[in-house]
Amino acid sequence: MPGGGIIRDELKNQGPQRGSLCWEKKYRQLLALIKAQRVLLIFAIFLALLPIWADPLAGPIHLNIILTMRLVGIFTIAAVGLNLLIGYAGQVSLGHSAFFGVGAYASAILAVKAHFPVWLAIMAAVIASAFIGLLVAPVLRLKGHYLAMATLGLGFIAFVFMREMTWLTGGNVGIANIPELSLPGLRITNDRGEFYMVWVIALIVLALCGNLVRSRTGRAIRALHQSDVAAGAMGVNVSWEKIKVFMLSAALGGLAGGLFAHLQGYIDPNLFTITLSIQLVAMVVVGGMDSVWGAVAGAGLLTFLPKIVEALPKWIGPGVPKWIANYSNYEGIVFGLILVLTMIFMPSGITRGLSDLGRYRRSPFVNPYRKKVVE
Amino acid sequence: MGFNIIFNSTGIINFAQGEFAMFGGLFAYTFSAVLGMPLPLAVLLAIVATALIGALMERAVVYPLRNASIITAIIATIGASIFFKAVGRLFWPNEAYKVPEFTSGNLSLPRVTVSQQFLWVLGLTVLSVAAVYLFFNRTKAGKAMRACSINRQAASLVGINVSRMSLYAFTLAAALGALAGLINAPFASYSIGLFLGVKGFTAAVVGGLGNTFGAVTGGLVLGLSEELITGFLTIVLGVSTGYKDAVAAALLILILLLRPQGLLGRGVVEKV
Repeated sequence: MPGGGIIRDELKNQGPQRGSLCWEKKYRQLLALIKAQRVLLIFAIFLALLPIWADPLAGPIHLNIILTMRLVGIFTIAAVGLNLLIGYAGQVSLGHSAFFGVGAYASAILAVKAHFPVWLAIMAAVIASAFIGLLVAPVLRLKGHYLAMATLGLGFIAFVFMREMTWLTGGNVGIANIPELSLPGLRITNDRGEFYMVWVIALIVLALCGNLVRSRTGRAIRALHQSDVAAGAMGVNVSWEKIKVFMLSAALGGLAGGLFAHLQGYIDPNLFTITLSIQLVAMVVVGGMDSVWGAVAGAGLLTFLPKIVEALPKWIGPGVPKWIANYSNYEGIVFGLILVLTMIFMPSGITRGLSDLGRYRRSPFVNPYRKKVVE
Repeated sequence: MGFNIIFNSTGIINFAQGEFAMFGGLFAYTFSAVLGMPLPLAVLLAIVATALIGALMERAVVYPLRNASIITAIIATIGASIFFKAVGRLFWPNEAYKVPEFTSGNLSLPRVTVSQQFLWVLGLTVLSVAAVYLFFNRTKAGKAMRACSINRQAASLVGINVSRMSLYAFTLAAALGALAGLINAPFASYSIGLFLGVKGFTAAVVGGLGNTFGAVTGGLVLGLSEELITGFLTIVLGVSTGYKDAVAAALLILILLLRPQGLLGRGVVEKV
């Protein structure tokens, strides 16, 4: 820290009083930082303490919370990235499974076939995804439905390539024996270690994205959402800003994909289908489109939900009729229902919707996602 | 065509269109194979039942969202599609069911042999296209629907019930989707859902969204060019046939980028 050196010099030259003022200023800045990031800090503490009560609970409720939370962390990273694109910039992408998959495959191939260190492979995966994002950026010229369908097509193309480029990706067989996440020096390869590693990265991403949306770039991106033309008139470089946020979103998708590959230890193309894209979009939309925390809520809800539904018959016990217990696709019913109901009753996502409910009235601001069309 | 009808009158792309096709096939299977009805009756009932589901979906999902933004509507229809698929699995747990062919056997012409099923497909497609064309151009309801697509506000000013038109559109689209699912293949399976949706949308875009006849042309152009390009890739370049689906998707993106108004559609002047 160069700042520390300067302060110490000032202490030496200008006496203790001046110095203490400086320290007080630093202290105030720290307090302000804590205040600004208090949600993040509370969440971090919650996560840090999670294993204490979640581990003993795993057996009785047939649900390993730590294992699931690792996935939540990964999906949070991807969903935050997608949220920048959909929620803030207003560009719908139904093809984010492509970037997730590219990240996973790039990292896995580098680590397994070229014997890269894990973290280097993940970094390379991030760059690869961002590059692919740049490559397909021309689709950003499209709008609305057309953009959605074009990105859906992209996700599809990526899936087909993952399946068919057998020499590189192993085709339907996939890639196995991907090295686990680990820190150099430390040997923590258990679930809890991975849980902490994933969430440290996720929290950093959350903090950075939270700052980004309040920056000049963030405001430019948000201007795009309201109107391309107006943003352009205000001096925003529309196409370049779109490409930037698309690349960032792709890079975060790649980061999530890379982490995912190392966490699972095994990947095949069927993990990265359109369904994944839809799940990611659903996390963003259900969570809340214009908030970074919406992504966390969405990722958490939609990752835990299938597990809970899966564990539900075990909770109820043997009284469940067999044809209900054997039916494996309740997830689909619940997932579909949640999507439809959230869209109808809380179109701006559960974070906003619930906080509105909490205030017992709708937000006084006009909700930009609920455009009133004059009929 | 189903895509087109809904997009025409509501401005929503219905991602559950593929599921209508799925329901069409499954209902036909149930009515004919399980309940032992004669096939024509089973087909008719299947179409009616799917149309009812379409109408139900319009009231339950689309109507409350008539003022919502694009992304909201997209997610809601995707959610409906996932829900339908899961419900379908609850009642029809197997992966695929065989719907009996309309008439089995082949028709032998000089030099070529055509299966009679193929003739049915061709005939029913032509028939339904003609019916839809007549509906949109000759009947009052059809004209009203087109009016809604051009300008909903103006349509409601001249006394057209816009929301009822949307209901009709969904019913009609579901019926057509069921028909498509019936004649698509003698098999009714789950995998056709979303994939059929993507292809249907591509066909509709190729022909120009909002252009009824375009969808048919688009379907033809898409099917042909997909086969031709895949054939070229496999035979000339030696690429595996697995890329066929990627070709369809790439065509979609290219068409969207180069001719977003479709091959037949007129240019649309964008208003700010």
